[in-house]
Amino acid sequence: MIEARQLMLRYPSGKTALSGITLQIEKGSFVYLTGESGAGKSSLLKTLYGALRPTSGQLNVQSLDMREAREGQVRTLRQNIGVIFQDHKLLFARTVFENVALPLRVQGWKPDRLVPRVRKVLEFVGLEDRLWSYPEALSGGEQQRVAIARAMSSRPPLLLADEPTGNLDIETAHRIMDYLVELNRHGTTVIMATHDLQLMEAFPGQLIRLHAGSLMSENVSFDEAIVGDTPEGSGIDTGALL
Amino acid sequence: MSSDVNTPPEQLKPRLPGGFSLPPFGIHQVLALVIVCVSLWAVGLLWLGMQAASQWTGSWQQDIRLHVYLSSTKKDRLKALAKDLKTLPDVRDVRIVPRSETRQWLHGWLGSTGVDESELMNSLPYSVEVMPRSNAGHFLFRDMRDMARRYGANVNKQELFLVRAHRWLSGIRKLAWFATAVLALAMAIIISNTLRMTLLARADEVQLMRLLGAREWFVRMPFLLEGMLLGAGAGLFSWILLWPLVFGASDWLSALHVDLHVFYLLPPLVFCGAVVGCLGAWIATARLAVPDVKGA
Repeated sequence: MIEARQLMLRYPSGKTALSGITLQIEKGSFVYLTGESGAGKSSLLKTLYGALRPTSGQLNVQSLDMREAREGQVRTLRQNIGVIFQDHKLLFARTVFENVALPLRVQGWKPDRLVPRVRKVLEFVGLEDRLWSYPEALSGGEQQRVAIARAMSSRPPLLLADEPTGNLDIETAHRIMDYLVELNRHGTTVIMATHDLQLMEAFPGQLIRLHAGSLMSENVSFDEAIVGDTPEGSGIDTGALL
Repeated sequence: MSSDVNTPPEQLKPRLPGGFSLPPFGIHQVLALVIVCVSLWAVGLLWLGMQAASQWTGSWQQDIRLHVYLSSTKKDRLKALAKDLKTLPDVRDVRIVPRSETRQWLHGWLGSTGVDESELMNSLPYSVEVMPRSNAGHFLFRDMRDMARRYGANVNKQELFLVRAHRWLSGIRKLAWFATAVLALAMAIIISNTLRMTLLARADEVQLMRLLGAREWFVRMPFLLEGMLLGAGAGLFSWILLWPLVFGASDWLSALHVDLHVFYLLPPLVFCGAVVGCLGAWIATARLAVPDVKGA
């Protein structure tokens, strides 16, 4: 589903966000992107949905060469990718219904299909009674669930989640993870950026560890990731993470 | 909340084809509507004035008569002058005004003043009436003046001024087109700036739509529709605002035998408003068209 070879990403400022990333992610995987803040997790996710284009190397997402792809091709690809953004990106002037319906409107869904689908996904995340509420009336966890509902509304085969549990308490974070794992069980490939080791332990998955824009390890076990995240392994204080 | 679930709000059903919903109509839109309406009203007034002026000059141009006056001491040259005037290219017909007609005119002009008409008649010049063709060129009037000089006669200058007024109207018509174009550009910029503010207010939504894979036309369409509706609405209102002026000037217009066709202005004003609105929206959204997926 995703294949990267010597992927490099450099911002116009000159800062290298990703360097020499080579990895392969199979369809149906549940992958954690982990690493310290600034390791390149968000940058890698952005390159996967085309918000950033690779500077060099090769990146194929759902058989699309992300370096050579035209803008129109990238936008078509995005319609097949569900994204849970780090800052939700919910529209606070629109209702929960409109927020969740937006990807479907973009894809030209007719109201007779669109309305039941929105109801269904909101039911899945337990927000069927908040259909006409505005996001500001929701708690942080509920907002995150709306973001999940929006990301999954068009049944994308690939779901990218950028620290979806970042500001949530443990209980809510676990609930969010339950939804993502459930989606993965139904065949959706999930790639989630996080540095929450407790979640990774509770919900096992494939681990890709980044450090300073480089790939430290791929397909490592949770124990290996823990070792890699020790002060000796990566130079970061895992005490703060745990 | 449960009752809300069973009561879908208005936003549930997209009112426009393609599922587009128009941006909210706020104070900026109202201001733009008023400004564009006033501009379109000025354009409508300009062309209404042109219509009135065309009708007025057209009415007297149908029976335009130019007069060449020859002193009574040179009356032996009268027939030769009339004959030569008729040879001029753009002259349709020439008539020597009979003295009886001149006397009649003088009688009417003097009225009951009791002045001796016969003495005045002797001092009045002989007249040759020249009827030009409808498409007579500017050279006719020069030729007439030269011909008259050759015989020691004069052309009625006031009548020539009227002919010139007609020509000035043609020039003014070109200026009217120019003014319309300038106003249209100004209106497009006003609408563009208004929509630009709306775009800034909805920048997060536009960015999100792009991130969700929306095509550019999908992102721009609501703004184009809004611009079009705003312009067309302003056109309609400006047309309505023309009526009080037309009613107010009705006595004056009927005295000039001018019958204005205000209804003819409705389609152009609405159409031009819509086009200008679309253009403004296009300018506004073109500025926004910088892709957010620049190569890193």
